[in-house]
Amino acid sequence: MTKPISATPSAVLSRTAVLALLTRWCPHNWRLGLGSSILLLILLCAIFAPWLAPHSPYDQSLTDRLLRPMFMEGGSWAHPLGTDHLGRDYLSRLLYGARFSLLVGFGTIVLSAFIGIGMGVAAGYFAGKVDLIVMFILTVRLSLPIMLATLAIVGLLGNSLPLMMLVLACFLWDHFLVVARSLTLRLREAEFVLAAKASGYSDLRIMISEILPNLVGPLVVVATLEMGHAILLEAAFSFLGLGIRPPDASWGLMIAEAKDFVFFEPWLVNIPGLAIFILITAITLLGAGLQRLLVKD
Amino acid sequence: MRTFIARRLGVSLLVLLTISTLSFVLLKASGDLAISLAGEGSGADYVAFLRKTYGWDRPILVQYADWLWRLLRGDLGTSFYYGSPVLEIIAERLPVTLKLGAFAIFMALGVAFPLGSLAALRPDGWMDRVAMFIAMVGQATPIFWFSFVLILILGLNLAVLPISGGGTTAHFVMPSIALAFYAMPAIIRIVRGGMIEALASDYIRTARAKGLRPWAVIVRHALRNTLVPVVAIASVQFGFLLGGSVVVETIFALHGIGYLTWEAISQNDYPVVQASVLVVSAFYVVLTLLADLLNMLIDPRIRHD
Amino acid sequence: MFSHIRNGLALAAGLALLSPLAQASKADDTLVAAFQAQLPSLDRYHAPGREGFLLGLLAYDALLYRDPNTLEVKPLLATAWRQINPTVWEFDLRKGVKFHDGVEMTAEDVKFSLEYAADEKNRVFNRMTGGWIKSVDVINPYKVRINAEAVTPLAIEYLIQLPIIPKAYREKVGLEAFGQRPVGTGPYKVAKGKGNEIVFTRNDEYFEGGGKSKPKIKTLIYRNIPDVNTQVAELISGGVDWAYYIPNDQAARIERMPNITVKNAETFRIGFITLDAAGLSDPNSPLKNVKVRQAIAYAIDRQAIASKLVGGSSKPVNAACTPSQFGCTQNVTTYKYDPAKAKALMAEAGYKDGFSIDVYGYRSRPVAEAIIGNLNAIGIHANLRWQQYSAVIQQRRDHKTPIVIDDYGSAGVADAGGILPFFFAESPDDQSRDPIVTEAVQKAGSIADQAQRKVLYAKALNRIAEQAYWVPLFTMPVNYVFAKNLSIPIPGDENVEFWRAEWK
Repeated sequence: MTKPISATPSAVLSRTAVLALLTRWCPHNWRLGLGSSILLLILLCAIFAPWLAPHSPYDQSLTDRLLRPMFMEGGSWAHPLGTDHLGRDYLSRLLYGARFSLLVGFGTIVLSAFIGIGMGVAAGYFAGKVDLIVMFILTVRLSLPIMLATLAIVGLLGNSLPLMMLVLACFLWDHFLVVARSLTLRLREAEFVLAAKASGYSDLRIMISEILPNLVGPLVVVATLEMGHAILLEAAFSFLGLGIRPPDASWGLMIAEAKDFVFFEPWLVNIPGLAIFILITAITLLGAGLQRLLVKD
Repeated sequence: MRTFIARRLGVSLLVLLTISTLSFVLLKASGDLAISLAGEGSGADYVAFLRKTYGWDRPILVQYADWLWRLLRGDLGTSFYYGSPVLEIIAERLPVTLKLGAFAIFMALGVAFPLGSLAALRPDGWMDRVAMFIAMVGQATPIFWFSFVLILILGLNLAVLPISGGGTTAHFVMPSIALAFYAMPAIIRIVRGGMIEALASDYIRTARAKGLRPWAVIVRHALRNTLVPVVAIASVQFGFLLGGSVVVETIFALHGIGYLTWEAISQNDYPVVQASVLVVSAFYVVLTLLADLLNMLIDPRIRHD
Repeated sequence: MFSHIRNGLALAAGLALLSPLAQASKADDTLVAAFQAQLPSLDRYHAPGREGFLLGLLAYDALLYRDPNTLEVKPLLATAWRQINPTVWEFDLRKGVKFHDGVEMTAEDVKFSLEYAADEKNRVFNRMTGGWIKSVDVINPYKVRINAEAVTPLAIEYLIQLPIIPKAYREKVGLEAFGQRPVGTGPYKVAKGKGNEIVFTRNDEYFEGGGKSKPKIKTLIYRNIPDVNTQVAELISGGVDWAYYIPNDQAARIERMPNITVKNAETFRIGFITLDAAGLSDPNSPLKNVKVRQAIAYAIDRQAIASKLVGGSSKPVNAACTPSQFGCTQNVTTYKYDPAKAKALMAEAGYKDGFSIDVYGYRSRPVAEAIIGNLNAIGIHANLRWQQYSAVIQQRRDHKTPIVIDDYGSAGVADAGGILPFFFAESPDDQSRDPIVTEAVQKAGSIADQAQRKVLYAKALNRIAEQAYWVPLFTMPVNYVFAKNLSIPIPGDENVEFWRAEWK
């Protein structure tokens, strides 16, 4: 995935700026509206899964396996999306599965943003040797094929949810770094930065309180896109048997578990496949909308 | 120019060294190799014997130096599972992945390049919307799901292509399509962005002002100008595909590097896992180095960056 | 994107209308067989699992052969045999049998092969089959005597599994090269053995008069396809002619295809769960507590898994052996599915809130998922580690596996001695290390009195069940799925006679 980030600095996010943003949050920006509504809906589904789910996602009943969803012939409202190969309610698993997708997405992004922005701002602010080192780290990171390398690490060190998020975070910070660095480079000579320096503020304080607020817009865009990336990688991991572990439900794992039926009961694969598709599309739309709102003028 | 090449080479070597260090650390972190290799509930004396034979009882830095030295001579260790040299196994599998990657990158470029260029002609026009829609769909579709859809349509319903294995070139078509679909969105975006920039540049505007038709402008001027990013994209995406082919190779039972890695993970064959990551990364480093040098030849301005 | 769903559905319906594709295989006389497992070595002595066994039958010959349906022992490389005394057997060898490299097979090769299997240093995969041999004496080039360490009631059953390899070639090329380019006397020669395919070609010189015969089909391709799903797709499209272990769900559905035959056959295979009762993987393992092990036994709904997931004629088993085996009494402590009781036992054992533990598996993912669901219901959170058969077994032997979801076909030996010594009696796979079991199993394996052996096996099996060292699961009938235009014998012991296959 590439990030269509144009590297123009955003406006300072002051209170008036926020107001201005809200007024610009207009019907023209359908991407933002649609993307955020879908994402919000999925988020609510994930949070309220215990109340929304008609059954426990773990209850297996081998006599009721592979029941079809209600929109197909032979389906019933008892299991609106049917049951899987172990007789577990598919809708419930889908709802609970959203939790893992979003957890991995958010968790990874928080960590990777921390790594990437930290290094990017430092590189841009100090320039010189620090920049050289950071750029070297970036080159190393970019020459490690993400899927293969993360798979190997998780495979060698054993899979668990925290480890998977940590490993993904260690690989998904590159865009944060690139954007943060290029924006900081332009700001380091800005008047308010020079003024802060003149007043004797520490470098750390300048970076956090003067520079960082100016990066928020473009970085939020990067975050949304990287979140999509993380979610897709988690799905691929679970599909390969190295991600979320059974009996927990994640959308990637649901596809993996249903793949033996792809030729005969394709809906089993298509429902979680479609769920991932919708989630990623929503995130992409949100990212595109945010970009128009926050970055491009 | 010579200093540029020398610097670029130096960085590449340093990157390779760092990656090899990382993979050495990873291998060491994955557990006691002597115990893994001994196997079958072996006695402590046998484990100790192995540790001594392989020099795993020496200080870690000595082991590292020794490991690097072997690496330089092309010795990647011995597979736990097959008992044969890792290099031999990788050499056998690498051509499959390279072939798959090459097919996929050509397919992806073949579709994405015209699409991205057309989209750039009129940003926000209908062609642009179509292109961006395709890019978005490609980006949001999990590759494993798409692979199954391909098998359903091309392999079973139309029965025009073989489903698994790597015996003939026909076996590569479906996996290449899946992989190309995976790489395409990024290329569309980059080509579109690059083309918009190029079309906005002064000399294109001059060309247009001279009354050249848009197509002629694109073909004669803008395309040539986007060649540099394309070489860069192709090499970056090729590396991306080499890694991303794990899923595709697993589904289509194509015995390339990605499949080998996945397989080696499920066989606890640590040396193979480590070596395949190392080899693919090294391959990528060399590829980007070549791309950079090639770009330098195409566009002399780069040298002064 | 809804078109995806609609498409998928239309496609599924379309499958039924699919016309049988031209089977290219028949035209070029090549049978393509799909297998889930990859063979790390083509040396039969180092090739694990059932596929290793099949390799042994294809490329190699043992002294004797056992009919896969009648289980009658027939001559093969040996033409006649006799027991001289309780620990010595004598074999007359077939004259004029040539290895694939043209060299004649003699008593020296037999001595070399059997003593190789017997020597613990060589670390052959199944040590049970060769470990009983003390030495082999060459009487003349066509007569050998095998001396056993002790009385070995199953000696003949073991010999069936020990292929004769050419001493000269094996010593010349060494272990690794032999594993890539093996030479035997079997009905098929290994023509190419790299990557995901092993190509076998007919051994036109194959001798007549033994229990095996010259192949009818010229070329046999062993194709490694790890994904069952891909196997099914290939079977439908005609890219693969034969596959086995196809899960019941898929088998039942592809049976409707016009070009496919499905045969469900009984086997000696049973599924079971091994528990690290001795605490080999972790001295503080909860599995050391008998109540926890019993709770696990109560927690698993074997009946439902057998009838719904395994299917066919699968039935739950209670003892740690195949019900049709000699000495396999089912009259042992049984654990009927009872999650409430399981939870109570967990609480009694001090694990009211459960624990999490590594569970290893390799064969049937849905079965493993169902078992993990059952364990989850009593608070045992399983970290499923899904790996290749050989990796899982290796790790059990390395004392790393608390729980393994395993199965075993007893190599088709119709005696409890075909399974118990492999998993108990201080074997590498013994995770209980119970002296009572060890003594009974070892004694039953070294006396000839059948009545007494039966008593000893009953003693061992009762102890195993009482202590819940294992959770025996169910019998595992196998689905053989193959092209309609192929005629291939269905074995009773999973040992497929590919050389008897022919096109219709």
